[in-house]
Amino acid sequence: MKDEQDELLDQLFRTVRAMKVDTDSVGEHFETRLMASLEEHRESRALWSAWAWRLVPWFSIIVIIVAAGSVLMDPARSNDLFAVFTNGYDEYQATSLIAGG
Amino acid sequence: MKATTSVPADESLVKDALAGDDEAFVLLVRRYKRKVFGLAARFARDGDELDDICQDIFIKVYENLGKFRNDAPFEHWLARISTRTCYDALRKRRKEKSFVPWESGHYEIADSSSGERQAAEHARDLLERGMVMLQPAERLVITLLELEEKSVREIAGMTGWSEANVKVRAFRARQKLKRILEREYER
Repeated sequence: MKDEQDELLDQLFRTVRAMKVDTDSVGEHFETRLMASLEEHRESRALWSAWAWRLVPWFSIIVIIVAAGSVLMDPARSNDLFAVFTNGYDEYQATSLIAGG
Repeated sequence: MKATTSVPADESLVKDALAGDDEAFVLLVRRYKRKVFGLAARFARDGDELDDICQDIFIKVYENLGKFRNDAPFEHWLARISTRTCYDALRKRRKEKSFVPWESGHYEIADSSSGERQAAEHARDLLERGMVMLQPAERLVITLLELEEKSVREIAGMTGWSEANVKVRAFRARQKLKRILEREYER
């Protein structure tokens, strides 16, 4: 059931609904301003994209250096892939034995 | 021979705008800007903010034109983007709880005496005072429901929330507004 507050609220809504918002000042040359903003938007996007492409060779060089470094400087390389797991497990077993865990 | 001036359909303007025709996009903006202004003005605090929100809306429209599917009218798609942008604007200033009235003369009250105008402005101030205390989602729902006279189903479509969610938010907003108004009248 509607109480007094509900009726008051409905009355407020009715009054405000009937008020037309004056947006003429915003509407004036809105399209011109919008297209200028869009142009700016496009330019900044193009700039970012150009920079991203320019940075690609540098990132590629870094990736190659890191990859080469990891290949050349890794002392524990083995052709036996299974050794990668077993070496770690052996070490763990030895530590447990010494520490008594 | 009779010259026929055909008005291009929204879908054809969208297609042209996607092909890089800025004039087609301007035509779309011109066609719908009043509706967008009307909705955004319910949430903006001043002319500058209104302009910012409306620009945001149309920039988002432009950027997402490629995602527009012809399975629903362009107007509905635009309404969804407008609603979400207004919601984002409300969330951005969530921390600001202070009441900032519109500059005077912002609203037009047709055929009204100065007394009626004063009463209407008082009603608007009072409601706005309550609205700023609501959560952004509650404010959005109650504005669309009561001031824009949208149905629960329409609001669900515009916001992407379920109808039950919209109803709950509308109910909470109403309860809160009633409490706020009660306090205002007690003062």
